[in-house]
Amino acid sequence: MTAARTAFDHGVAGRPLAVAAALAWRNLVGIRRVPATFVPAVVMPVFFLIAFSGQYRGIVEIPGFATDNVLSWYTPMAVLMGASFAGVGTAFSVARDLETGFFDRLLLSPAARGAIMCGSLLAGAARGLITFALVTAVGLAGGAAVPGGVPGLVSLLIAALGVATVAGLWALGLVYRIKSQSAGPVVQVGIFVGLFLTTAQAPLEVITGWLHPVARLNPVSQILELARQGFLEGVAWSSTWPGLAAIGGLAAVMLVFAVRGMRTLTP
Amino acid sequence: MTTVALLRAHRRQPLLQALVLSRRSVVALLRQPTVWIPSMFFPLFFTALNSAAFQRATNLPGFPPFDSFLDFLVPATILQGVIFGAISAGTEMATDIENGFFDRLISSPVSRISILVGRLAGAAALGGAQAVLFVLILLPFGASIGGGAVTVAVLVATAMLLGVGIGGFGVALALRTGSAEAVQGSFPLLFVTLFLSSAFFPRGLMTGWYQTVAGVNPVSWMIEAQRRLLLEGFAATDAAVAVAVAAGIGVVSVGASLLALRRRLAEAPA
Repeated sequence: MTAARTAFDHGVAGRPLAVAAALAWRNLVGIRRVPATFVPAVVMPVFFLIAFSGQYRGIVEIPGFATDNVLSWYTPMAVLMGASFAGVGTAFSVARDLETGFFDRLLLSPAARGAIMCGSLLAGAARGLITFALVTAVGLAGGAAVPGGVPGLVSLLIAALGVATVAGLWALGLVYRIKSQSAGPVVQVGIFVGLFLTTAQAPLEVITGWLHPVARLNPVSQILELARQGFLEGVAWSSTWPGLAAIGGLAAVMLVFAVRGMRTLTP
Repeated sequence: MTTVALLRAHRRQPLLQALVLSRRSVVALLRQPTVWIPSMFFPLFFTALNSAAFQRATNLPGFPPFDSFLDFLVPATILQGVIFGAISAGTEMATDIENGFFDRLISSPVSRISILVGRLAGAAALGGAQAVLFVLILLPFGASIGGGAVTVAVLVATAMLLGVGIGGFGVALALRTGSAEAVQGSFPLLFVTLFLSSAFFPRGLMTGWYQTVAGVNPVSWMIEAQRRLLLEGFAATDAAVAVAVAAGIGVVSVGASLLALRRRLAEAPA
Protein backbone atom coordinates (compact mmCIF):
# COMPACT_ATOMS: atom_id res chain seq x y z
CA MET A 1 0.00 0.00 0.00
CA THR A 2 1.44 3.41 -0.90
CA ALA A 3 2.02 6.14 1.62
CA ALA A 4 -0.50 8.34 -0.19
CA ARG A 5 -3.20 5.70 0.10
CA THR A 6 -2.28 5.07 3.72
CA ALA A 7 -2.67 8.75 4.41
CA PHE A 8 -5.66 9.65 2.33
CA ASP A 9 -7.79 6.57 1.68
CA HIS A 10 -8.06 5.62 5.32
CA GLY A 11 -9.35 8.75 6.84
CA VAL A 12 -6.18 10.42 8.15
CA ALA A 13 -6.37 13.33 5.72
CA GLY A 14 -8.12 15.33 8.41
CA ARG A 15 -5.29 14.72 10.86
CA PRO A 16 -2.37 16.95 9.90
CA LEU A 17 0.22 15.17 12.04
CA ALA A 18 -0.66 11.79 10.54
CA VAL A 19 -0.45 13.26 7.03
CA ALA A 20 2.95 14.81 7.74
CA ALA A 21 4.22 11.55 9.24
CA ALA A 22 2.93 9.49 6.28
CA LEU A 23 4.57 11.82 3.75
CA ALA A 24 7.83 11.89 5.72
CA TRP A 25 7.79 8.08 5.86
CA ARG A 26 7.16 7.91 2.12
CA ASN A 27 10.20 10.14 1.56
CA LEU A 28 12.41 8.03 3.83
CA VAL A 29 11.31 4.81 2.12
CA GLY A 30 12.49 6.48 -1.09
CA ILE A 31 16.04 6.53 0.32
CA ARG A 32 16.00 2.72 0.55
CA ARG A 33 14.54 2.39 -2.94
CA VAL A 34 16.81 4.92 -4.64
CA PRO A 35 19.90 5.34 -2.40
CA ALA A 36 21.56 7.54 -5.05
CA THR A 37 19.21 10.37 -4.02
CA PHE A 38 20.65 10.40 -0.50
CA VAL A 39 24.20 9.03 -0.77
CA PRO A 40 25.72 12.41 -1.85
CA ALA A 41 24.32 14.03 1.31
CA VAL A 42 26.59 11.71 3.32
CA VAL A 43 29.53 11.20 0.95
CA MET A 44 30.06 14.89 0.17
CA PRO A 45 30.38 16.07 3.80
CA VAL A 46 32.66 13.13 4.64
CA PHE A 47 34.82 13.98 1.63
CA PHE A 48 34.75 17.65 2.62
CA LEU A 49 35.84 16.70 6.14
CA ILE A 50 38.75 14.54 4.97
CA ALA A 51 39.85 16.91 2.20
CA PHE A 52 39.66 20.14 4.18
CA SER A 53 41.21 18.75 7.34
CA GLY A 54 44.05 17.23 5.29
CA GLN A 55 44.53 20.16 2.92
CA TYR A 56 44.25 22.93 5.53
CA ARG A 57 45.97 21.12 8.39
CA GLY A 58 48.35 24.10 8.77
CA ILE A 59 45.66 26.73 9.47
CA VAL A 60 45.39 25.75 13.13
CA GLU A 61 48.94 27.08 13.54
CA ILE A 62 47.81 30.62 12.67
CA PRO A 63 48.08 32.72 15.86
CA GLY A 64 44.62 33.26 17.34
CA PHE A 65 43.08 30.11 15.84
CA ALA A 66 40.44 28.64 18.12
CA THR A 67 41.87 25.09 18.32
CA ASP A 68 44.96 23.10 17.42
CA ASN A 69 42.87 20.15 16.20
CA VAL A 70 41.82 20.69 12.59
CA LEU A 71 39.23 17.88 12.75
CA SER A 72 37.55 19.55 15.73
CA TRP A 73 37.32 22.67 13.59
CA TYR A 74 35.92 21.06 10.46
CA THR A 75 33.69 18.25 11.84
CA PRO A 76 30.81 20.55 12.91
CA MET A 77 31.02 22.40 9.58
CA ALA A 78 30.84 19.09 7.70
CA VAL A 79 27.84 18.02 9.79
CA LEU A 80 26.03 21.26 8.96
CA MET A 81 26.86 20.83 5.29
CA GLY A 82 25.41 17.31 5.38
CA ALA A 83 22.33 18.62 7.18
CA SER A 84 21.79 21.27 4.52
CA PHE A 85 22.11 18.65 1.77
CA ALA A 86 19.62 16.50 3.68
CA GLY A 87 17.07 19.31 3.79
CA VAL A 88 17.63 20.19 0.15
CA GLY A 89 17.35 16.54 -0.90
CA THR A 90 13.85 16.35 0.50
CA ALA A 91 12.84 19.38 -1.53
CA PHE A 92 14.19 17.70 -4.66
CA SER A 93 11.84 14.78 -3.90
CA VAL A 94 9.03 17.34 -3.94
CA ALA A 95 10.34 18.60 -7.30
CA ARG A 96 10.10 15.04 -8.66
CA ASP A 97 6.56 14.79 -7.29
CA LEU A 98 5.70 18.04 -9.04
CA GLU A 99 7.11 16.73 -12.32
CA THR A 100 5.30 13.40 -12.10
CA GLY A 101 1.97 14.89 -11.01
CA PHE A 102 1.91 13.20 -7.59
CA PHE A 103 2.03 16.59 -5.89
CA ASP A 104 -1.12 17.67 -7.76
CA ARG A 105 -2.87 14.63 -6.29
CA LEU A 106 -1.74 15.69 -2.84
CA LEU A 107 -3.09 19.21 -3.39
CA LEU A 108 -6.42 17.80 -4.56
CA SER A 109 -6.73 15.72 -1.39
CA PRO A 110 -8.30 17.19 1.75
CA ALA A 111 -4.90 17.23 3.48
CA ALA A 112 -3.85 20.55 5.01
CA ARG A 113 -1.21 22.40 2.98
CA GLY A 114 0.81 22.95 6.14
CA ALA A 115 0.84 19.21 6.82
CA ILE A 116 2.19 18.52 3.33
CA MET A 117 5.04 20.97 3.91
CA CYS A 118 5.67 19.59 7.40
CA GLY A 119 6.01 16.11 5.90
CA SER A 120 8.92 17.34 3.78
CA LEU A 121 10.52 19.12 6.72
CA LEU A 122 10.17 16.05 8.96
CA ALA A 123 11.84 13.91 6.31
CA GLY A 124 14.61 16.51 5.98
CA ALA A 125 15.16 16.45 9.75
CA ALA A 126 15.30 12.64 9.73
CA ARG A 127 17.81 12.70 6.88
CA GLY A 128 19.76 15.34 8.79
CA LEU A 129 19.84 13.00 11.80
CA ILE A 130 21.41 10.27 9.68
CA THR A 131 24.08 12.61 8.25
CA PHE A 132 24.75 13.97 11.77
CA ALA A 133 25.38 10.46 13.09
CA LEU A 134 27.58 9.32 10.21
CA VAL A 135 29.66 12.48 9.72
CA THR A 136 30.19 12.95 13.47
CA ALA A 137 31.29 9.32 13.75
CA VAL A 138 33.84 9.81 10.97
CA GLY A 139 35.14 13.00 12.61
CA LEU A 140 35.47 11.37 16.02
CA ALA A 141 37.11 8.28 14.52
CA GLY A 142 39.61 10.57 12.75
CA GLY A 143 40.58 12.26 16.01
CA ALA A 144 38.18 15.17 16.57
CA ALA A 145 37.98 16.07 20.26
CA VAL A 146 34.76 17.04 22.06
CA PRO A 147 35.78 18.79 25.28
CA GLY A 148 32.14 19.87 25.65
CA GLY A 149 31.09 16.22 26.02
CA VAL A 150 27.47 15.12 25.50
CA PRO A 151 26.08 18.70 25.75
CA GLY A 152 28.49 19.62 22.97
CA LEU A 153 27.16 16.85 20.75
CA VAL A 154 23.57 17.86 21.62
CA SER A 155 24.24 21.47 20.58
CA LEU A 156 25.72 20.18 17.30
CA LEU A 157 22.60 18.05 16.77
CA ILE A 158 20.30 21.02 17.42
CA ALA A 159 22.31 23.13 14.95
CA ALA A 160 22.17 20.34 12.36
CA LEU A 161 18.41 19.93 12.66
CA GLY A 162 17.99 23.70 12.47
CA VAL A 163 20.11 23.93 9.31
CA ALA A 164 18.23 20.98 7.73
CA THR A 165 14.96 22.83 8.38
CA VAL A 166 16.16 26.23 7.14
CA ALA A 167 17.80 24.70 4.03
CA GLY A 168 14.69 22.59 3.39
CA LEU A 169 12.42 25.64 3.57
CA TRP A 170 14.72 27.61 1.24
CA ALA A 171 14.75 24.75 -1.27
CA LEU A 172 10.98 24.18 -0.99
CA GLY A 173 10.33 27.87 -1.60
CA LEU A 174 12.32 27.70 -4.83
CA VAL A 175 11.00 24.30 -5.92
CA TYR A 176 7.38 25.42 -5.43
CA ARG A 177 8.10 28.39 -7.71
CA ILE A 178 10.27 26.71 -10.37
CA LYS A 179 8.28 23.43 -10.22
CA SER A 180 11.11 21.21 -11.43
CA GLN A 181 14.46 19.76 -10.43
CA SER A 182 16.12 22.46 -12.55
CA ALA A 183 15.86 24.54 -9.36
CA GLY A 184 18.89 22.57 -8.20
CA PRO A 185 21.71 24.95 -9.17
CA VAL A 186 19.98 28.00 -7.65
CA VAL A 187 19.29 26.06 -4.45
CA GLN A 188 22.90 24.87 -4.21
CA VAL A 189 24.38 28.32 -4.86
CA GLY A 190 22.25 29.73 -2.04
CA ILE A 191 23.34 26.97 0.32
CA PHE A 192 27.05 27.30 -0.50
CA VAL A 193 27.03 31.07 -0.27
CA GLY A 194 25.08 30.96 3.02
CA LEU A 195 27.34 28.34 4.57
CA PHE A 196 30.72 29.63 3.41
CA LEU A 197 30.33 33.40 3.82
CA THR A 198 30.74 32.75 7.53
CA THR A 199 33.38 31.58 9.96
CA ALA A 200 33.30 28.23 8.12
CA GLN A 201 36.99 28.35 7.20
CA ALA A 202 38.54 30.38 10.00
CA PRO A 203 37.58 32.14 13.23
CA LEU A 204 36.48 35.77 12.99
CA GLU A 205 39.73 36.86 14.68
CA VAL A 206 41.76 35.32 11.83
CA ILE A 207 39.59 36.40 8.87
CA THR A 208 40.73 39.55 7.05
CA GLY A 209 39.34 41.94 4.42
CA TRP A 210 35.82 41.95 2.99
CA LEU A 211 34.91 38.58 4.51
CA HIS A 212 35.29 39.80 8.10
CA PRO A 213 32.20 42.08 8.21
CA VAL A 214 30.21 39.65 6.04
CA ALA A 215 30.95 36.69 8.33
CA ARG A 216 30.26 38.78 11.43
CA LEU A 217 26.81 39.81 10.15
CA ASN A 218 25.85 36.46 8.61
CA PRO A 219 23.55 34.69 11.10
CA VAL A 220 24.86 31.31 9.93
CA SER A 221 28.12 32.19 11.75
CA GLN A 222 26.10 32.12 14.99
CA ILE A 223 24.72 28.68 14.07
CA LEU A 224 28.29 27.52 13.42
CA GLU A 225 29.30 28.80 16.84
CA LEU A 226 26.43 26.83 18.38
CA ALA A 227 27.56 23.74 16.47
CA ARG A 228 31.26 24.15 17.22
CA GLN A 229 31.26 25.17 20.86
CA GLY A 230 31.41 21.62 22.20
CA PHE A 231 34.31 20.79 19.88
CA LEU A 232 36.36 23.81 20.93
CA GLU A 233 35.59 24.14 24.65
CA GLY A 234 32.61 23.67 26.96
CA VAL A 235 29.02 24.53 26.15
CA ALA A 236 28.01 28.01 27.32
CA TRP A 237 24.70 29.85 27.14
CA SER A 238 26.47 32.88 25.64
CA SER A 239 27.46 30.73 22.61
CA THR A 240 24.12 28.92 22.50
CA TRP A 241 21.40 31.56 22.46
CA PRO A 242 22.68 33.53 19.42
CA GLY A 243 22.69 30.29 17.42
CA LEU A 244 19.18 29.38 18.53
CA ALA A 245 17.99 32.91 17.71
CA ALA A 246 19.63 32.69 14.27
CA ILE A 247 17.91 29.36 13.55
CA GLY A 248 14.57 30.78 14.71
CA GLY A 249 14.94 33.96 12.67
CA LEU A 250 16.11 32.26 9.49
CA ALA A 251 13.45 29.55 9.80
CA ALA A 252 10.75 32.22 10.16
CA VAL A 253 11.94 34.11 7.05
CA MET A 254 12.29 30.92 5.01
CA LEU A 255 8.89 29.68 6.20
CA VAL A 256 7.26 32.81 4.78
CA PHE A 257 9.24 32.28 1.55
CA ALA A 258 8.13 28.63 1.31
CA VAL A 259 4.48 29.28 2.21
CA ARG A 260 4.22 32.04 -0.41
CA GLY A 261 5.83 29.67 -2.90
CA MET A 262 3.31 26.98 -2.11
CA ARG A 263 0.48 29.42 -2.68
CA THR A 264 1.68 29.86 -6.27
CA LEU A 265 0.83 26.18 -6.85
CA THR A 266 -2.88 26.63 -6.21
CA PRO A 267 -5.18 29.07 -8.00
CA MET B 1 23.60 24.72 -43.45
CA THR B 2 23.46 22.02 -40.75
CA THR B 3 26.58 20.46 -39.25
CA VAL B 4 25.99 17.12 -40.96
CA ALA B 5 25.47 18.86 -44.35
CA LEU B 6 28.69 20.82 -43.83
CA LEU B 7 30.53 17.61 -43.01
CA ARG B 8 29.21 16.01 -46.21
CA ALA B 9 30.39 19.07 -48.16
CA HIS B 10 33.88 18.62 -46.68
CA ARG B 11 34.15 14.86 -47.26
CA ARG B 12 37.75 13.63 -47.52
CA GLN B 13 38.92 16.79 -45.72
CA PRO B 14 39.41 15.68 -42.11
CA LEU B 15 40.91 18.97 -40.98
CA LEU B 16 37.92 20.97 -42.23
CA GLN B 17 35.58 18.42 -40.66
CA ALA B 18 37.39 18.78 -37.34
CA LEU B 19 37.05 22.55 -37.70
CA VAL B 20 33.29 22.29 -38.34
CA LEU B 21 32.81 20.03 -35.32
CA SER B 22 35.05 22.25 -33.14
CA ARG B 23 33.01 25.28 -34.12
CA ARG B 24 29.81 23.37 -33.28
CA SER B 25 31.07 22.47 -29.80
CA VAL B 26 32.23 26.04 -29.06
CA VAL B 27 28.93 27.53 -30.28
CA ALA B 28 26.97 24.98 -28.23
CA LEU B 29 29.00 25.97 -25.19
CA LEU B 30 28.40 29.68 -25.70
CA ARG B 31 24.67 29.03 -26.07
CA GLN B 32 24.54 27.30 -22.68
CA PRO B 33 25.49 29.82 -20.00
CA THR B 34 24.41 27.28 -17.36
CA VAL B 35 27.49 25.26 -18.38
CA TRP B 36 30.17 27.95 -18.33
CA ILE B 37 28.85 30.40 -15.72
CA PRO B 38 29.27 27.92 -12.80
CA SER B 39 32.75 27.10 -14.12
CA MET B 40 33.65 30.76 -13.63
CA PHE B 41 31.57 31.54 -10.54
CA PHE B 42 32.57 28.74 -8.15
CA PRO B 43 36.36 29.02 -8.59
CA LEU B 44 36.21 32.81 -8.18
CA PHE B 45 33.90 32.51 -5.17
CA PHE B 46 36.17 30.08 -3.35
CA THR B 47 39.27 32.08 -4.28
CA ALA B 48 37.73 35.26 -2.88
CA LEU B 49 36.61 33.37 0.23
CA ASN B 50 39.86 31.57 0.97
CA SER B 51 42.10 34.51 0.19
CA ALA B 52 40.28 36.46 2.92
CA ALA B 53 39.98 33.54 5.34
CA PHE B 54 43.58 32.32 5.07
CA GLN B 55 45.53 35.52 4.32
CA ARG B 56 47.29 35.22 7.69
CA ALA B 57 48.52 31.74 6.75
CA THR B 58 51.07 33.43 4.48
CA ASN B 59 53.00 34.38 7.65
CA LEU B 60 53.33 30.76 8.76
CA PRO B 61 56.84 29.27 8.72
CA GLY B 62 57.11 27.06 5.63
CA PHE B 63 54.62 29.04 3.55
CA PRO B 64 56.06 30.08 0.17
CA PRO B 65 57.04 33.78 0.16
CA PHE B 66 53.87 35.07 -1.54
CA ASP B 67 52.66 38.54 -0.60
CA SER B 68 49.06 37.35 -0.48
CA PHE B 69 47.05 34.15 -0.38
CA LEU B 70 45.35 35.37 -3.57
CA ASP B 71 48.68 35.18 -5.46
CA PHE B 72 49.16 31.68 -4.09
CA LEU B 73 45.70 30.61 -5.33
CA VAL B 74 45.92 31.81 -8.95
CA PRO B 75 46.94 28.42 -10.46
CA ALA B 76 44.36 26.53 -8.37
CA THR B 77 41.62 28.94 -9.49
CA ILE B 78 42.40 28.24 -13.14
CA LEU B 79 42.59 24.50 -12.54
CA GLN B 80 39.21 24.45 -10.76
CA GLY B 81 37.61 26.38 -13.60
CA VAL B 82 39.07 24.05 -16.22
CA ILE B 83 37.77 20.98 -14.34
CA PHE B 84 34.31 22.53 -14.03
CA GLY B 85 34.22 23.51 -17.70
CA ALA B 86 36.01 20.67 -19.46
CA ILE B 87 33.73 17.96 -18.14
CA SER B 88 31.05 19.52 -20.37
CA ALA B 89 32.90 18.02 -23.38
CA GLY B 90 31.96 14.61 -22.01
CA THR B 91 28.37 15.49 -21.16
CA GLU B 92 27.88 17.04 -24.61
CA MET B 93 29.26 13.91 -26.27
CA ALA B 94 26.92 11.76 -24.16
CA THR B 95 24.01 14.02 -25.10
CA ASP B 96 24.93 13.56 -28.80
CA ILE B 97 24.81 9.79 -28.24
CA GLU B 98 21.50 9.96 -26.33
CA ASN B 99 19.73 12.11 -28.91
CA GLY B 100 21.05 10.20 -31.93
CA PHE B 101 23.33 12.88 -33.37
CA PHE B 102 26.37 10.64 -32.86
CA ASP B 103 24.73 7.87 -34.96
CA ARG B 104 24.04 10.39 -37.72
CA LEU B 105 27.68 11.50 -37.56
CA ILE B 106 29.09 8.00 -37.92
CA SER B 107 26.70 7.22 -40.76
CA SER B 108 28.04 10.28 -42.62
CA PRO B 109 31.42 10.29 -44.39
CA VAL B 110 33.12 12.04 -41.49
CA SER B 111 36.59 11.15 -40.27
CA ARG B 112 36.26 9.32 -36.94
CA ILE B 113 39.15 11.25 -35.43
CA SER B 114 37.41 14.53 -36.32
CA ILE B 115 34.59 13.58 -33.94
CA LEU B 116 37.05 13.49 -31.04
CA VAL B 117 39.09 16.45 -32.19
CA GLY B 118 35.95 18.55 -32.54
CA ARG B 119 34.86 17.85 -28.97
CA LEU B 120 38.28 18.26 -27.40
CA ALA B 121 39.05 21.45 -29.31
CA GLY B 122 35.98 22.99 -27.68
CA ALA B 123 37.29 21.98 -24.23
CA ALA B 124 40.74 23.38 -25.04
CA ALA B 125 39.25 26.68 -26.23
CA LEU B 126 37.18 26.99 -23.07
CA GLY B 127 40.21 26.18 -20.87
CA GLY B 128 42.35 28.82 -22.58
CA ALA B 129 39.60 31.45 -22.40
CA GLN B 130 39.05 30.69 -18.72
CA ALA B 131 42.76 31.10 -17.93
CA VAL B 132 42.82 34.52 -19.62
CA LEU B 133 39.58 35.63 -17.95
CA PHE B 134 40.66 34.48 -14.49
CA VAL B 135 43.95 36.37 -14.77
CA LEU B 136 42.15 39.50 -16.02
CA ILE B 137 39.60 39.30 -13.20
CA LEU B 138 42.13 38.61 -10.44
CA LEU B 139 44.66 41.30 -11.49
CA PRO B 140 42.53 44.28 -10.30
CA PHE B 141 42.10 42.52 -6.94
CA GLY B 142 45.85 42.53 -6.39
CA ALA B 143 47.04 39.29 -7.93
CA SER B 144 50.60 39.63 -9.18
CA ILE B 145 51.97 37.63 -12.09
CA GLY B 146 55.74 37.19 -11.89
CA GLY B 147 57.20 36.78 -15.37
CA GLY B 148 54.36 38.76 -16.93
CA ALA B 149 53.02 37.78 -20.35
CA VAL B 150 55.30 34.74 -20.73
CA THR B 151 54.00 33.24 -17.48
CA VAL B 152 50.43 33.99 -18.57
CA ALA B 153 51.15 32.21 -21.87
CA VAL B 154 52.33 29.14 -19.91
CA LEU B 155 49.20 29.28 -17.74
CA VAL B 156 47.01 29.49 -20.86
CA ALA B 157 48.86 26.65 -22.63
CA THR B 158 48.59 24.46 -19.52
CA ALA B 159 44.87 25.25 -19.18
CA MET B 160 44.25 24.33 -22.84
CA LEU B 161 46.11 21.03 -22.47
CA LEU B 162 44.24 20.31 -19.25
CA GLY B 163 40.98 21.10 -21.05
CA VAL B 164 41.89 18.38 -23.54
CA GLY B 165 43.02 16.05 -20.72
CA ILE B 166 39.96 16.39 -18.54
CA GLY B 167 37.59 16.66 -21.50
CA GLY B 168 39.18 13.47 -22.85
CA PHE B 169 38.29 11.54 -19.71
CA GLY B 170 34.71 12.82 -19.97
CA VAL B 171 34.52 11.88 -23.66
CA ALA B 172 35.93 8.40 -22.96
CA LEU B 173 33.32 7.86 -20.26
CA ALA B 174 30.57 9.21 -22.54
CA LEU B 175 31.60 6.82 -25.33
CA ARG B 176 31.72 3.86 -22.93
CA THR B 177 28.40 4.57 -21.15
CA GLY B 178 26.43 6.78 -23.55
CA SER B 179 25.01 8.50 -20.47
CA ALA B 180 25.32 12.19 -19.60
CA GLU B 181 24.36 11.32 -16.02
CA ALA B 182 27.29 8.90 -15.75
CA VAL B 183 29.68 11.58 -17.00
CA GLN B 184 28.31 14.07 -14.48
CA GLY B 185 28.66 11.41 -11.79
CA SER B 186 32.41 11.22 -12.48
CA PHE B 187 32.79 14.90 -11.63
CA PRO B 188 33.41 14.37 -7.87
CA LEU B 189 36.27 11.99 -8.73
CA LEU B 190 38.06 14.85 -10.49
CA PHE B 191 37.61 16.99 -7.43
CA VAL B 192 39.04 14.26 -5.22
CA THR B 193 42.17 14.37 -7.41
CA LEU B 194 42.30 18.14 -7.07
CA PHE B 195 41.86 18.12 -3.29
CA LEU B 196 44.42 15.33 -2.82
CA SER B 197 47.08 17.70 -4.12
CA SER B 198 48.76 20.87 -2.93
CA ALA B 199 46.36 23.00 -5.00
CA PHE B 200 44.99 25.01 -2.08
CA PHE B 201 47.69 24.87 0.57
CA PRO B 202 51.44 24.24 0.60
CA ARG B 203 52.50 20.62 0.83
CA GLY B 204 55.03 21.51 3.53
CA LEU B 205 52.22 22.44 5.90
CA MET B 206 50.37 19.15 5.45
CA THR B 207 51.10 16.08 7.54
CA GLY B 208 50.79 12.28 7.44
CA TRP B 209 49.24 10.28 4.62
CA TYR B 210 47.67 13.38 3.09
CA GLN B 211 51.10 14.94 2.54
CA THR B 212 52.37 11.67 1.04
CA VAL B 213 49.46 11.40 -1.39
CA ALA B 214 49.75 15.08 -2.36
CA GLY B 215 53.46 14.51 -3.00
CA VAL B 216 52.90 11.74 -5.54
CA ASN B 217 49.93 13.46 -7.21
CA PRO B 218 51.11 14.94 -10.56
CA VAL B 219 48.59 17.78 -10.09
CA SER B 220 50.80 18.98 -7.20
CA TRP B 221 53.88 19.00 -9.45
CA MET B 222 52.04 21.07 -12.06
CA ILE B 223 50.55 23.54 -9.57
CA GLU B 224 53.83 23.98 -7.72
CA ALA B 225 55.70 24.64 -10.97
CA GLN B 226 53.09 27.26 -11.91
CA ARG B 227 53.46 28.86 -8.49
CA ARG B 228 57.23 29.10 -8.89
CA LEU B 229 56.66 30.83 -12.24
CA LEU B 230 54.30 33.32 -10.60
CA LEU B 231 56.66 33.90 -7.69
CA GLU B 232 60.09 33.90 -9.29
CA GLY B 233 59.36 34.75 -12.92
CA PHE B 234 59.76 32.63 -16.02
CA ALA B 235 62.04 29.60 -15.85
CA ALA B 236 62.13 27.05 -18.64
CA THR B 237 62.28 24.08 -16.25
CA ASP B 238 59.16 25.11 -14.35
CA ALA B 239 57.30 25.90 -17.57
CA ALA B 240 58.30 22.50 -18.96
CA VAL B 241 57.12 20.66 -15.82
CA ALA B 242 53.73 22.43 -15.84
CA VAL B 243 53.15 21.82 -19.54
CA ALA B 244 54.48 18.25 -19.41
CA VAL B 245 52.13 17.19 -16.61
CA ALA B 246 49.13 18.69 -18.43
CA ALA B 247 50.25 17.10 -21.70
CA GLY B 248 50.76 13.75 -19.96
CA ILE B 249 47.20 13.84 -18.61
CA GLY B 250 46.07 14.71 -22.15
CA VAL B 251 47.95 11.79 -23.74
CA VAL B 252 46.43 9.30 -21.28
CA SER B 253 42.88 10.64 -21.62
CA VAL B 254 42.97 11.02 -25.41
CA GLY B 255 44.29 7.45 -25.60
CA ALA B 256 41.41 6.32 -23.42
CA SER B 257 38.87 8.17 -25.56
CA LEU B 258 40.34 6.72 -28.78
CA LEU B 259 39.98 3.22 -27.36
CA ALA B 260 36.43 3.98 -26.25
CA LEU B 261 35.60 5.37 -29.70
CA ARG B 262 37.00 2.27 -31.41
CA ARG B 263 34.95 0.04 -29.12
CA ARG B 264 31.74 2.00 -29.69
CA LEU B 265 32.26 1.94 -33.46
CA ALA B 266 32.89 -1.80 -33.33
CA GLU B 267 29.64 -2.29 -31.41
CA ALA B 268 27.64 0.02 -33.70
CA PRO B 269 25.26 -1.71 -36.15
CA ALA B 270 26.79 -1.92 -39.63
